[in-house]
Amino acid sequence: MTPILQYLLLFGMLIATAGFVWMLYLIKQSLGKTLEEPGKDIPAESGNLVPKPAWLRYHVRYYGYALLFLAFDMEMAYMYPWAVVYQEVGLLALLDMGVFLMILFLGLVYTWTQLGLKRQ
Amino acid sequence: MTPFLSGFMITLLFVGGVYFVAVLERCSMTGNVSWSGPARSFLLLFAQEEIKTRKHDKVFFETAPVLFIGVILLTISILPFGRGSVIIDLGTGALFINAALVYIMVSLLMAGWAVNGVYAMVGGWRALAQLIAYSMPVVMALTATVMRAESMFLTDIVESQQSLWNILYQPVGFILFYISALAIAFLPPFDLPVAEGELAGGVWADLTGARKLLFRLGRLALVLTLSVAVVVLYLGGWMGPWLPGFVWTFLKTLLVAASFFAVGHFMPRIRHDHLLEYNWKYGVPLALYNIFQVGVVLLL
Repeated sequence: MTPILQYLLLFGMLIATAGFVWMLYLIKQSLGKTLEEPGKDIPAESGNLVPKPAWLRYHVRYYGYALLFLAFDMEMAYMYPWAVVYQEVGLLALLDMGVFLMILFLGLVYTWTQLGLKRQ
Repeated sequence: MTPFLSGFMITLLFVGGVYFVAVLERCSMTGNVSWSGPARSFLLLFAQEEIKTRKHDKVFFETAPVLFIGVILLTISILPFGRGSVIIDLGTGALFINAALVYIMVSLLMAGWAVNGVYAMVGGWRALAQLIAYSMPVVMALTATVMRAESMFLTDIVESQQSLWNILYQPVGFILFYISALAIAFLPPFDLPVAEGELAGGVWADLTGARKLLFRLGRLALVLTLSVAVVVLYLGGWMGPWLPGFVWTFLKTLLVAASFFAVGHFMPRIRHDHLLEYNWKYGVPLALYNIFQVGVVLLL
C-alpha cells in the first residue's frame, strides 16, 4: 500500500466515524423528543442557578509547566528521525543528542531551582 | 492471511475486546462479573433523553464526541494484531500513536467548553494539565523503542523484540509508558477530567444520551487501544509459543487491560498539581535516563 493510499484510508475512517455518529443521532431522534420542563437545561452546579456563562478568564495555574512543555515538545520533533538512524551513526549520534539533551535538562533543573515546578 | 480475512479478524477482536473491557470496568467498580451489564448500560444511555444545556457552544458540542471516537479508531487501525495483520502499516506508526492520542485532550477540552457549565469547564482545563504532565514521558518512552527497532513501523518494533521483550530490555520506559497510558485514558488514579467525587462527573457532567454514550464507548475503546499499544511496544506483540499470533495479542491485551483497572481499584485519585509535579520532577529525568541507557546498551 502506498503512503498516499494509507492516509486516504485514515481520512476515510474519520468520515466513516462521522457517518456512524450521525446515524446514531438520527436513530436517537426518531426514538422521541425531549420533554420541555422548566430548569432542565441548566448545567449541573449543585443547585445554584448561576446565570453567567462558564467561559470566564480563568487563571491556569500550571502555565509554568506549559512553557516548559513547549520547549521539550519542540525538541521531541528532532528525536524521532535521530532515533531511526541512531544505530547507523553510532557513538557520534549519542554525543550529539547527549549535548542537546543536557542543555534542555539544565533548563529543567534551572526551572526547578527557581521554584517553577509547582502550582503558581 | 489474506487482507480481507485479517481485516475481519481485527474487527472481530476489536469489538470483542471492547466488550471484555466493558465487563472488566464494571467488575473493577462493582466487584462482580456481569456479562449482561455492558449491554444494559448501553441500552440505558441509548434510551436516555437528550438534554442540551442552554447557551451551549453548538460547534464544539457536536464535534467533540466525533473527534474523541475518531482518533481512537485511527490509532487502533495502525496497531498490528498479528504477523502481517494490520489494517494500515504506517511508516510513522510510533509517532502517529502519540500525535493521534493528543486529540483525546483536545476533544475533552472541547466537550468541557461546549456545555457552558462550571464543572465541565474545570474538567476541561484539568484535561489540558494532564496532557502537559504525561506527554513528555510517553514520547520519550516511544523514542527509546524506536531506537532499538531502527524504524517507526510498529511491525518492525515488534520484530525487534524477537530475542528479548522490551519490558526487560527497557523496564524504566515500560513503567513510564504504562503509567502514562493510564493518564491518557484518564482511568481512576488519573481520572481528573471526569472526577466523580469532586466534579460531579466533570466533562461528562452535563452530557446525556448519545453524546455520553459515545464518550463512554470511546473510553472503553481507548483502554483497549492503549492495552494493545503496551503489548505491541513492550510485551512482544503477537509473539508466543504454540498458539497463533492473534490469540497471543488478545490474551496479552486483556491481561494489560485488567491490570489497568486493578491499579485504579486500589489507588486514590491523585491531585492535579501533584501529577504535574511528579511527572516533571521524576518522570522526565527518568525518561531521559531511559533513552541514555538504551543508547549505551545498543552501542555495546
